[in-house]
Amino acid sequence: MRALRRLWLRAWNFATRRSGDQRLREEMEQHIALETAANIHAGMTAAEAHRAARIKFGSVEAVRESYHSEEGLRVMETILQNCVFALRMMRKSPGFTALAAITLALGIGATSAVFSLIQGVLLTPPPYQKPSQLVLVSAVRTDGHKMDSERGWAAQQWMDWNKNAMTLQGAAGYSWNFNFLIRNDGSQSMQGMNISKEYIRLMGLKPITGRLFDDAEYGPFQGSVKSVVLGYEFWQRELGGDPAIVGKTIRVSRWNAATTVIGVMEPGVRFLPSPGASKEPNYDVNATVDLWVPIEPALKDLKAPDWNVVARLRDGVTVQKAQQELAVLTAQQASSEKKFEGFTPKLQTVTAEMNQDGQKILYPLLGASALVLLIACGNVSALLLVRGLQRQQEYAIRIAMGMGRGALLRLIMTESLLLALIGGALGVGIAFGAVTMFKLIAIHAVPRLDAVTARTAVLGWGFAAAVVAAFIAGMIPALRVLRLDPMEVLKDGGSKGTAGVGERRLLRAVVVLQTSLTLALLVGAGLLIRTMAKIASAPSGYDTSRILTMSVTEVQNQASWNDFHHRALERVAALPGVQYAAFAWGVPLTGNNWPGTVEIEGQPPAVKESDKTALPLRSVTPDYFKLMGLALLNGRGFRSTDDGKAPQVAVVNKTFADRFFPGQTVIGRKIWQSGRDKPGIEIVGEIADGRTDDLTQQASPEVYLSFWQAGPYSKHLVIRTAADPQAIVAGVEREVRSVDPSAAIENVKTLEQIRDDSLASRTFVMRLLVGFSVIGSVLTLVGIYGVLSLSVVSRRRELAIRCAVGAQQSDLRRLIFNEGLQVIGGGVFFGVILALISSQVLSAFLYEVRPTDPATLLVTGLLFLGVGLLACWVPAWRAEKVHPIEALRYS
Amino acid sequence: MGQKTDVKQGTLALMVLKTLDVLGPLHGYGIARRIEQISGDMLSVNQGTLYPLLLKLENEGSIDSDWGASENNRRARYYRLTKVGSRQLQSEVLEWQQTTEIMARFLAARAEELG
Repeated sequence: MRALRRLWLRAWNFATRRSGDQRLREEMEQHIALETAANIHAGMTAAEAHRAARIKFGSVEAVRESYHSEEGLRVMETILQNCVFALRMMRKSPGFTALAAITLALGIGATSAVFSLIQGVLLTPPPYQKPSQLVLVSAVRTDGHKMDSERGWAAQQWMDWNKNAMTLQGAAGYSWNFNFLIRNDGSQSMQGMNISKEYIRLMGLKPITGRLFDDAEYGPFQGSVKSVVLGYEFWQRELGGDPAIVGKTIRVSRWNAATTVIGVMEPGVRFLPSPGASKEPNYDVNATVDLWVPIEPALKDLKAPDWNVVARLRDGVTVQKAQQELAVLTAQQASSEKKFEGFTPKLQTVTAEMNQDGQKILYPLLGASALVLLIACGNVSALLLVRGLQRQQEYAIRIAMGMGRGALLRLIMTESLLLALIGGALGVGIAFGAVTMFKLIAIHAVPRLDAVTARTAVLGWGFAAAVVAAFIAGMIPALRVLRLDPMEVLKDGGSKGTAGVGERRLLRAVVVLQTSLTLALLVGAGLLIRTMAKIASAPSGYDTSRILTMSVTEVQNQASWNDFHHRALERVAALPGVQYAAFAWGVPLTGNNWPGTVEIEGQPPAVKESDKTALPLRSVTPDYFKLMGLALLNGRGFRSTDDGKAPQVAVVNKTFADRFFPGQTVIGRKIWQSGRDKPGIEIVGEIADGRTDDLTQQASPEVYLSFWQAGPYSKHLVIRTAADPQAIVAGVEREVRSVDPSAAIENVKTLEQIRDDSLASRTFVMRLLVGFSVIGSVLTLVGIYGVLSLSVVSRRRELAIRCAVGAQQSDLRRLIFNEGLQVIGGGVFFGVILALISSQVLSAFLYEVRPTDPATLLVTGLLFLGVGLLACWVPAWRAEKVHPIEALRYS
Repeated sequence: MGQKTDVKQGTLALMVLKTLDVLGPLHGYGIARRIEQISGDMLSVNQGTLYPLLLKLENEGSIDSDWGASENNRRARYYRLTKVGSRQLQSEVLEWQQTTEIMARFLAARAEELG
């Protein structure tokens, strides 16, 4: 209690700035007066008595100090005093303050912006209960070979795990579905999840309005679904957040009856990866789910590998342990069912899987922004060091007057902290702007970026970065003060603003460090620029210019399918400015193909399920190859007569022909989609290879089917135009809608845009790295300039003497250039070493460029050497101007 | 007069409280003199610790202070014990008595008694 009362009074005194100074002075005077009186009484003279009393009382300052320390909150007062002092010093040199604060702001802004992205993308878990317990169970081949295409699990398998696995709380099946919300004025696509009974309980999901499914609502899909739950974002986006949505019905394509909305899911729930669906058009694992469909597997389909599986571990169970148990269970299943042979489960936590791509992009950027912060800190550190030199005398006097080194250290650290906080405040402003910009330019590059909101995160990270920056930037100048010898400094008297050999060496070391960090950044940026150049010159095999694409889907029913597409294609092709028009499932670079297992003539029939050949199947109308500029090498392309009534035909690419029929003709060979006992599909043509999956990958075997025979559900309308493809968008939409007003027209993009999107993560990382290295380079050049300027100033006398004894101006210039060259050369040397190490993290983004690419290292190093020497120019020029008379003035 | 020693850490507060208990309200100088006298001038009270201590005791509520007139007719600050202070004094005195008793017994003990 007493201690509390005391603390309270002290805090009160501190807050009200009540000072007992007056009271203490009176008490002390009284004390001495009484003592004097007593001394006189004892027989001393008045003067003697007073002197004795004073001596006995001791140091008034000491009494006052300990009295005040009892009175208020000592530490707070000192900090406040230090802050006021620091602010006063900053106001005295606004140029220095502004330069240092802006420098720090750039570093802090860069790091906090990247940190906010990491916070939003990687560290914010989806709204699942205890997400760390959730694991995805994917299938890999037992023999360890890579699979041609992803494969799911049979319901019978995961239902068995759900019952028998001791390490799991449960397992649930899910799959991806793609539908359209039918509207008379243009339909909207809906991506949804089919979920089994266990899913919602296992994930711990809650509705925001209405309810989720009860067990009776789950059942096999039978043409339509009675009730669905909508995703929050879809509800907001497409239905305007209709508060009365629960209980209403909506029409969903391919379902032959309307369905009732029973609830809306809480916001922010995204897809779980569905590897088998990942090549489907419109599949986007990072999107939020539009609708949930309750599905239980039908008894007849229990063995079909249609399901993705998510499971929840029991408390305290590791992923490895669950994996071992599931492997055993799966092996048992395989021994009794041939269809299950050859696959084993591989477990991975949901968060690890979700963050995979984001980590690849964001961690290198975090490293780069940290380098920028370090460079900025180096710069400010150098600035503070120079300023410390100018204030040497002040520090020396303080020490001579009895200020403790610790107190002086605190004073100096307060200054750098304050500087960093000002920089931090500016930096947070920069970071807010940067995050907004990132969201604009990187929406295709970084997964789940839409979840990033730059608010408290930026503030928090900005503050943290500022404290770190203050510590790093302030440390070297502060440590110097510890070694300061006040006698030497005071004896020296006039040496204001000059630096000794030791100081100059320290400064040079800081700048060498800065230079090497900058070089590492530049090399990273250089590698990515080279990568982009290589990609730009990579042979795609087709022509991307003046091509407009959009996904167009007829949502009504199977009966009108053929008619709709024929009429739409005719009308669009007849538009002025259109050279060719085609429908296609499988536009290049959209990841949009249809992986199917096929059997190929001449290949031995696969014994095991896992040995079957899976190839990307595409389906196109006759003009497609001409439109894309894919050359026909052999045989013929498709004809409009290759329709449902004619025998099935296929066109394959060169890689297919080379892999499966090396040195033979591929024309006339057959492939089968559903068993060799059925009539096969005859290969009638061979086309040139195109990098349609990924610009940076060699073409893989591809099979094209005739669009009119394959009848794919969702597809692209592809149009080659004579002029700017954007100009005909409205016309195309009008023509398609005139055939069917409810047709869904989405994702209108030129092929150029699709190409850019496919390279977006590389472009994003490159742009940021270039930005960071520009900032870093400017800071470093300022640093080099600063060091040399200081060197010239502190060597004026030496230079003047050299001049007086006959040195030429060119000699002086060479002297300064030499010093500059040493700094830059050292920086380049260490920078190259650092770059060799740090560029390894970029290898995921590189294409046909090795992380240790010597050309990039050489060019970047030389470039930086050249530009760095420019920074030496002004100081060297100043050195030339030194006049021998100055030498006399100094002596 | 032997070598003067400074008041041992922690005991000054007790002496101040006891002085005020015995003599009633007193100013700082009076407290210091009294302590020195009682110790037979063996102790010297350091003013640098006395005044901060008085403030501490006041902040804790053990003593209270008021301005009054001193012997030489100047304004002087008089300190007096509060109720909290006399309770604190009682308990601390008890503690000290115990401690000295134990110490005395300990120092008087001979080897055979401990065996």
